[in-house]
Amino acid sequence: MLKTLFPTLGRFRFTVQIAMLFVTVYGGALLGSYTVDRISQALPSLSCAYDKLTGDHCILIVNQHQFHHRVGEALAKAQDITLKVFIPTLMSVGVFFMFFFFLNKAFCGWVCPLGTVQELLYRIGRRLDRPLNRFTPANVGRVRPVKWLLLLLLVLALPTMAGMGVVGNDLGDPFCQVCPSRIATTLLTANTEQIAVRTSTNVNFFLGAAGNALFGFIIIAALAARQPFCRICPLLSWNALFQKLSPMRLVKKQYDKCEKCGVCEKACPMDIHEIGSEHGKKAFHEDCTLCGRCAEFCPDDDVIQIRFFGIKLFGSSREYYKKRVKQESPEGMPKKRVINIRFDKPKTEHE
Amino acid sequence: MRMNAILMGVLLAAAPAFAAPEGKPGGRPMDVSGGHDHAAMMRDMGKATAWTLYPTLKARMSGESRETMKTAIVPQNIVAASIDAWSNNLKDGKAHRQLMMEMGGAMLDKPASGGFHWLSAREEQGDTVRVASTVYPFGERGAKNPTAMFMQQKHELEIIPQPYPREHSRYRAGEDWQFLVRFNGSPLPGQKVYLETSNGSMAEFVADVQGVVTLRVPDDFKAEEESKAAGTHNHGRAGAEFVLATEHVDSGKTWLTAFNSSYGKNAYDQRSLTLGLGFTLLGMLGAAPLLRKRKTAKKSKEADHA
Repeated sequence: MLKTLFPTLGRFRFTVQIAMLFVTVYGGALLGSYTVDRISQALPSLSCAYDKLTGDHCILIVNQHQFHHRVGEALAKAQDITLKVFIPTLMSVGVFFMFFFFLNKAFCGWVCPLGTVQELLYRIGRRLDRPLNRFTPANVGRVRPVKWLLLLLLVLALPTMAGMGVVGNDLGDPFCQVCPSRIATTLLTANTEQIAVRTSTNVNFFLGAAGNALFGFIIIAALAARQPFCRICPLLSWNALFQKLSPMRLVKKQYDKCEKCGVCEKACPMDIHEIGSEHGKKAFHEDCTLCGRCAEFCPDDDVIQIRFFGIKLFGSSREYYKKRVKQESPEGMPKKRVINIRFDKPKTEHE
Repeated sequence: MRMNAILMGVLLAAAPAFAAPEGKPGGRPMDVSGGHDHAAMMRDMGKATAWTLYPTLKARMSGESRETMKTAIVPQNIVAASIDAWSNNLKDGKAHRQLMMEMGGAMLDKPASGGFHWLSAREEQGDTVRVASTVYPFGERGAKNPTAMFMQQKHELEIIPQPYPREHSRYRAGEDWQFLVRFNGSPLPGQKVYLETSNGSMAEFVADVQGVVTLRVPDDFKAEEESKAAGTHNHGRAGAEFVLATEHVDSGKTWLTAFNSSYGKNAYDQRSLTLGLGFTLLGMLGAAPLLRKRKTAKKSKEADHA
């Protein structure tokens, strides 16, 4: 029955994404006001605490607050930086890992509300016949360090410095102030408070303006590029730190035909070229969101698999590939019904 | 494909249904002020506060409170020998405690079960019973839903928030929040409830048929308070106090109960929706070139066809 309801992994993942979108964005309304206090408050996805109805929120806001109010302030008071200062952070990381252990990076590809919103926009872009802007391997290489920079600077360094008094307190949660999920998820609840930019201090205004511009850029870019924000998301890098500790893995065998194929690279929404050129640990890259599209579009049996504790959950298959490509191309272009909307000037008779 | 369209349709249709009603999560611990002046603290206990004559409870955090997880509860406008404290988890050993008054107030510490606490002080003089109540949430709320604890009967006449703001939210000016008024466990429809704030506002509300009062938190902050608060440790979240009080007479006895908490500025205070939309549009324009099909690709297609 499961196979009838969900004939493809893609359909199953889409259903899970929509369900998780309801939980992360509207969970408080569905499950009770205090749901967010009860689930984790350390979710490995960009579910926003500013969303008044959220069912749970991401670990990054907790990290920023702890580094601001505990670690930074302890450093400022020249207190002994004992383990006690880090206990709340360690507890949050522990709670985070309880969830992450089971799903690994699938929190990015299956649970994150911003990831889902970007994918929905991309589907709309395919229907509107918008071009696909892909990242070349060289460009991917330039973009990848950005997520680590955002993690180190916005999530860790600036909040710590704010707690120490080196910078103002309005830099206590700088990533939250620029995060597009804050605006996206609150707008989904018809709340315009977060899209209104703060004007109380210059720093708040600057960060708010940058956050709004980034949000605007992302929602348009997502129509013509896959997962534009995910590539620089600090939660992707945070999750990558723990990637090897989870029994949920993407496994790729060495296979001779991979060199001439490259379909998995085209299918990958994060443009991870290593999935085509490498195998083993190198193929399960830090950018991977475990969406499973590479396994769906691999035309050979069991070359790419998703495994949990060594047990295969899903593996590539020639038969599955043949059915899958009848529905959409590896890049996500549907095989039926495209709505043509001209953005270019129409040709005249002389042309 | 049809399933995808149905799922997307459900999502779009549901969005307005989940539109956040006016006034929801707010939720910060009570205003705290550091203080080591024990004499002043003793004078404060039972002393009338400047802005209200209703009984209230004030939480005062000492310098090390964040680590020791203790706070002093000081009753104001009410004389009580102890403070009753109920915690999140009604089943554990610290579910209901009596905190004796010491120099500086009754000391409240956070049990392992969680951080939401209902605090009450009770004063009985002749035929009059006066109760002051508040909610104090420690930083870590705990996994237990506090609703059952809030709804458990603690006194005869009660005002109970429906709900109390969760973490990362608080009562805010301009928002609507609901409170249940009940006597001996039964709702009091038509009951008058009085509001006073430390910013000087006063209002009167009447409970509906279900005994629920909808409080519109007044937007009464002054401009100079707003500019002082910006860039402070509280991230610009200046606060004021409010108290909701009601009185009920039954069998020759008079009950007065008051619930107090803190509230913040209007959500849109020191925010600009126009500028926000403007910067969003700017970002969208920045990405617009990505939507155009490249002319070179089109021309090469046309050349191939020729």
